[in-house]
Amino acid sequence: MPSEGVVQEIREAYATVGIRLDQPATYGTYYRLLCEACGRMVGNVGDRLLPGMAREIVDAQRPLYAAGLLGCPCGHQRDRAGSPGPPAGARS
Amino acid sequence: MSEAAAVSGAAAPDRRDLWPLWRAAYAQGDPLPKFTCAASRPTYRFDEGEALPEEYKSLLIKMLRHEGERAGNKSFLGFMATCLDLAEGLFPTAEARLLKAEYLAEELKHAIMFHRVAVGLDRDFALRDVPYAHYAFHLPRETWADDAFFHFLVDLNGAFHARDWRESSYVPLAKIAATVERDELGHSEMGYVFLREICAEPRGRQLAQALLAKWYPAALDMFGRSDSPNVPKFIRWGLKAVGNAEIRQAYKAYVDRKLEALGLDVPAESAGRRFL
Repeated sequence: MPSEGVVQEIREAYATVGIRLDQPATYGTYYRLLCEACGRMVGNVGDRLLPGMAREIVDAQRPLYAAGLLGCPCGHQRDRAGSPGPPAGARS
Repeated sequence: MSEAAAVSGAAAPDRRDLWPLWRAAYAQGDPLPKFTCAASRPTYRFDEGEALPEEYKSLLIKMLRHEGERAGNKSFLGFMATCLDLAEGLFPTAEARLLKAEYLAEELKHAIMFHRVAVGLDRDFALRDVPYAHYAFHLPRETWADDAFFHFLVDLNGAFHARDWRESSYVPLAKIAATVERDELGHSEMGYVFLREICAEPRGRQLAQALLAKWYPAALDMFGRSDSPNVPKFIRWGLKAVGNAEIRQAYKAYVDRKLEALGLDVPAESAGRRFL
């Protein structure tokens, strides 16, 4: 069963790079990832990640956002990942 | 356009170079390894409508729950919708978007095929909503390279399992195994074509190398624990030929060779793994 805690983890991890979770898509389980600045869809994620995994993934991807290899064309994630920002897990 | 013409349209001359991608792979010989069952395979076979031993039916449904591609599985259809989202939002070229459309059509064909198997097995199961449990189906996909890795690695997992089902003691599954194997291998090849294009540029290869650390352990984890207590039961009933460790190693050898051909460094086998 999906854990609300895991979804919250995902939400918090992505908030640190300027990405927010949309409402669950279609029949649930999957969420669109939206650019916090312009609302553009930048990907999707499911709610069965293992505990702690979302934070690990976003932390590992932080240099990719900073380099502009991941993230919205508007540049918001590049700017967020390049700045110190709040630590992963902190509420946005 | 007639129904037959619409179906055959996928192989129309102007699209023959693009789809189906399994054609080129099989034209060079059997692309997948053969699995030899260490135990003697049972001589019986069960067909649709025959009474099934309770444990056999339970294991078969467990296997089909993991497979997931059923028309009556709402979560599978939801997952297909995420693929559409990515195809619409992240496609790099019109050709890539068309390939994704062909992929989706073929997965929906599988959903009908497995629906028929499910109805023949257990009518309640045919309409059961079973979200994918494995985390590999839930990893974030934020770029075309993520999606390419998903297809290359996760659809290939499906091809390896379908290869194993060719000799299944459950006749309806054995009947569709070759088609599913071929199609899933084609989907994997689609991902590989995308990866080849991405890795042709230094920044693309840098991105792919970084994302591989996310996808590679998940792909290896998909085969389950090497000491899974259920595996001997699957083999005894003729529902599988080989154990998780053996099929994982065959898969790893196939994948590593193709990753190296892209110029990528293959991660350590144990790095990031959750299910050894």
